[in-house]
Amino acid sequence: MSLAAEAFVSQIAAAEPWPENAALYQPLKDDQILLSDCASSLAVQTYLRMCRLPIRVSYRANAEYMSPSGKVPFIHVGNQVVSELGPIVQFTKAKGHSLSDGLDEVQRAEMKAYMELVNNMLLTAELYIQWCDENTVAEITRPRYSSPYSWPLNHILAYQKQWEVRRKMNAIGWAGKGLAQVYEDVSQCCQALSQRLGIQPYFFNKQPTELDALVFGHLFTILTTQLTNNELSEKIKNYGNLLSFCRRIEQSFFEEHDGDSGTGSSSRFSKSPSLI
Amino acid sequence: MAAPLELYCWKGDWGLPSVDTDCLTVLAYAKFAGAPLKVHKITNPWRSPTGSLPALKTSEEGSVSQPSKIIIHLRKQKYNADYDLSAKEGADTLAFISLLEEKLLPALIYTFWLDSKNYVDVTRRWHAENIPFPLNFYLPNRIHGQQLERLRLVRGDNGLEPGDDVEKELYRDAFECMSLLSQRLGSHKFFFGDSPSSLDAYVFGYLAPLAKAKLPNGKLQQHLNSLDNLRNFCTNILTLYFPSEGRDPPSQKTSSQPEGGDCDNEPNRRRNQVLSVLVALGAMLGYAILTGIVSIQRVQAQGALESSHRHQHQEEEEEEEE
Repeated sequence: MSLAAEAFVSQIAAAEPWPENAALYQPLKDDQILLSDCASSLAVQTYLRMCRLPIRVSYRANAEYMSPSGKVPFIHVGNQVVSELGPIVQFTKAKGHSLSDGLDEVQRAEMKAYMELVNNMLLTAELYIQWCDENTVAEITRPRYSSPYSWPLNHILAYQKQWEVRRKMNAIGWAGKGLAQVYEDVSQCCQALSQRLGIQPYFFNKQPTELDALVFGHLFTILTTQLTNNELSEKIKNYGNLLSFCRRIEQSFFEEHDGDSGTGSSSRFSKSPSLI
Repeated sequence: MAAPLELYCWKGDWGLPSVDTDCLTVLAYAKFAGAPLKVHKITNPWRSPTGSLPALKTSEEGSVSQPSKIIIHLRKQKYNADYDLSAKEGADTLAFISLLEEKLLPALIYTFWLDSKNYVDVTRRWHAENIPFPLNFYLPNRIHGQQLERLRLVRGDNGLEPGDDVEKELYRDAFECMSLLSQRLGSHKFFFGDSPSSLDAYVFGYLAPLAKAKLPNGKLQQHLNSLDNLRNFCTNILTLYFPSEGRDPPSQKTSSQPEGGDCDNEPNRRRNQVLSVLVALGAMLGYAILTGIVSIQRVQAQGALESSHRHQHQEEEEEEEE
């Protein structure tokens, strides 16, 4: 989206209230979505719930290709389409819904920095594990990613995606890392988050922010997703305060809403043995 | 203590100890931690033990190349600038380094390697002048390609032309990042109190080239210059930890830019001519041998006597052919 258009959009966005029929699009939940997309999608859903903005979740096999930036999830609000958490936060802010207004300048800088930490380490590690670890690719990623397509498109698209991710890993210097090093990085990231959280209920004390939504999205998804082994989730389980943080957000933003949020989230959250 | 560690990094210019962000980071960290390094400032990355710069040559573990790994290695050798940080400050360090990598690095790559004016006038020129022949014809383009690829992949879309939209988007993120850093720094001397830590080294590495390079298209620079505390932060580190570099540039600048460039080129040109003639000759000869226009026969020892005049004959043939 060009900047002029963006400025224009944010202006009209401010004028219109949040519509009832806002929708969030993501890949099929049961047999297509991958760890990283699931985490990003959960982060956005959590953020919108924290803002108390209603959203209907739609599952589409071609969500990735519907998104304006090629990344899922994206939301369709009124006649605008916005993808990824960062722009969505901007968008809701233009509509007058913001979680970070109470923070001072330094806190806001720290919040942004920690959000980049999650993107830079957790998200990249998820991508690495799901596209660069041969076991995971063969057993989970490729079958799931290509499930909506028939032969030969399923192979072509999966290889294309894998090739793209691997080149990205090369460019950012992750290609030389082994799996052990990646787990080590995840652990380091979790330690940093755990230190920052301390004994507070949320990262910036009483009030949840978009950082809490992002962290919850990633940690909860990692904890509740079955991979080829559970080393990744074990890394998080070393940090008790992160676990109780996930449980707290789950309870206060998902369980009470279960009645009206449809079946989507309740079935997912019911099979979360790792948290209870 | 064994022999001092050896660090290979890009040489400096513009009043900086090195022109490369990663090299600056490592150099600054080493100074902060007081690590005695033997620094090789080179302009040919192929002469580094890992093939890329910076590289730290260690006795036990071979060579390491990424700045984060080099810093970890120095830390293991008890050169730790982060010793006084609390656990929370350590976490903040990690977070702000991520912020730099995600938000500022793409804009820096854009400004130095993609913005056509800056690239042609400063970046490519510097590399072409400093990298030794014949690599100076090859390496700048190769690095350019790598940086472009990196930016494209990090942004995750295919169209990457140096256009207004991409630039504005990258610069908006970078402006925000610099403003956040400036707010975080406040009126402190360093990010965590009075002594520098690894975060200071990283921020210095990212910002110093921007503060010192003379770029024709300097939108990012202008924004940095408007943030007084960040600019002072960079000059402070330069004067405190790299005093020799701070003094050099005025004299170096005046002498090396206008005249030094020209008289450096003269001897090179003669050498280039000789070398290119040699390369051409070699290529022609190689082609002749490969395609069989000229053939070289191995002569067995037993047939040496008999072959002596055949050999002569052959040589004549060769000359004719050539």
